[in-house]
Amino acid sequence: MEFLREGFRRALALLLSGDAEVFGIALLTLKIAVVATVIACGVGLPLGYLLATRRFWGRRAALTAVNTALAFPTVVVGLLLFGLLSRRGPLGGLGWLYTWQAIVVGDVLLALPIAAALSAAAVQGVDARVRRTAETLGAGRWLTAWTVAREARFALAAVITAAFGQVVAEIGAAMMLGGNIRGSTRTLTTAVALYTAQGDFGLAVALGLVLIAIALIVNVTLQVLQGKGGG
Amino acid sequence: MVELRGVRHRYDGRLVLDLEHFAVPAGAMLAVVGHNGAGKSTLLRLLALLEAPTEGSVVWNGARVPRRPPTALRRRVTLVEQRPVLLRGTVLENIGFGLRVRGIGRADAYKRTAEVAEQLGLLSLLERRRTELSDGEVQRVAVARALAVRPDVLLLDEPASSADRAAAGAMYRALAHERAERKAPPLTICIASHQLEDAYRWADDIRALADGRLSPVTPENLFRVELTPAGTDTMSARVGAIDLLVTTDRAGSAVLAVPPGDIFVSREPLSSSARNVLKGRVTRVAAHRAGGGGGGVAVTADVGIELIAIVTAEACRELALAPGTPVVFSFKASAVRVF
Repeated sequence: MEFLREGFRRALALLLSGDAEVFGIALLTLKIAVVATVIACGVGLPLGYLLATRRFWGRRAALTAVNTALAFPTVVVGLLLFGLLSRRGPLGGLGWLYTWQAIVVGDVLLALPIAAALSAAAVQGVDARVRRTAETLGAGRWLTAWTVAREARFALAAVITAAFGQVVAEIGAAMMLGGNIRGSTRTLTTAVALYTAQGDFGLAVALGLVLIAIALIVNVTLQVLQGKGGG
Repeated sequence: MVELRGVRHRYDGRLVLDLEHFAVPAGAMLAVVGHNGAGKSTLLRLLALLEAPTEGSVVWNGARVPRRPPTALRRRVTLVEQRPVLLRGTVLENIGFGLRVRGIGRADAYKRTAEVAEQLGLLSLLERRRTELSDGEVQRVAVARALAVRPDVLLLDEPASSADRAAAGAMYRALAHERAERKAPPLTICIASHQLEDAYRWADDIRALADGRLSPVTPENLFRVELTPAGTDTMSARVGAIDLLVTTDRAGSAVLAVPPGDIFVSREPLSSSARNVLKGRVTRVAAHRAGGGGGGVAVTADVGIELIAIVTAEACRELALAPGTPVVFSFKASAVRVF
């Protein structure tokens, strides 16, 4: 128990002193998570809207595919992209392997199904009359979508939060694609794993606390939004 | 103006609408009647270009409408749903929604919004939100919102179902005002209703829908007539080749309904107080559907006009009613309802 107490004491000291390494890792993690969330939601939300509102051939199959992708193991996504991005892979020319961009690509692939599937459900939850009303009053395709989105705004905000939560806490793709390189691709999750293995328990706990704080803020936001959406 | 040609519309394979031809002429005030589930709402959604028919086509001013109609065409027709929803925002924002999407400037949009709000008695509610309105008020806002964009064709699905009498009156007056104001193109209105009185008082043409098909006979012996004085308290109405006597203080054009249950059916003329005694022949005998006014047998006869009477199965057997049988339909002048 002594080493646990010692770990927390060191963690607090690191956090309170504003340790450059801890903050660098936290900032990088946030940067990757924000960029990946913006891309995943930028594509996933419109995709979810289309899945929920358009009747096209293969729609049911597409919905099933997206829902299945929700449960995709992160290491498999990492492995797949590793193959694509490695020097001999088809996308090797980009030189992205072991860069933060590679982690973003992996995270986008993991968060996209979340954004698409959950926003499809959110849009399906909106009264069908809202869409018809916007259409019959003369709104074009974009304004109609915007009107429907406004009705589902709390649910859609929850979707974005959920996507962010997935991305910020993810380790499989970050480890395999980023390589956990100090000062360039070391994220909170990969750092915690590394420092724990190295026995630097205090640093691991400090980073873990930062991660927990981020996850907590995300989840509290999520619950507040869902509470409002229900009421 | 707008027509359906050879339309067969299905939901999940179930045929809900089967119309060889249905036309709403320009400038008409058309009422579509029928029981719940007769296909009225589906019909209006097709006319509103919100759905494309599974089979057949929608024709607008002679031109076939593509399956995904252009926005400019969709903007010429507006539907008010049976239970309308208001969008997020105030009543003011709701009424102005259609004007905003058309890119109409703030000042002009406000002027038009205030105009229709006044017609429908909504001026005091402009800052309210949807949670602060009664069902009747929501319905009036929905009508105002649709009128605001000055559509060529206005489709109303049971527009007075949640409104009280006074509010319904205000709504019909607003529609009449809008129609009178419009010259070219004239405002075409199509109202679906299962409440006869409201629609009939204002409509100048009536179509009946039953099980998704146009019914040749309106469900309750309806006739559009001119009432002319025939006695101290009765009016005469010419329907086809015959005259009906009606107790009413109304005059001029009106719609008459002869309730099928109020018609006495006999083989020989009866000596009774019934002022309308019509001789003819039975054309059809069919089981009367429950839900449309109880059980019994619907006897259709050609007595100079086509009339339907509802009798019990025993009465039908005793009188031996069958197609071709001579028959007498009698009803009191006071039994005829005037709209």
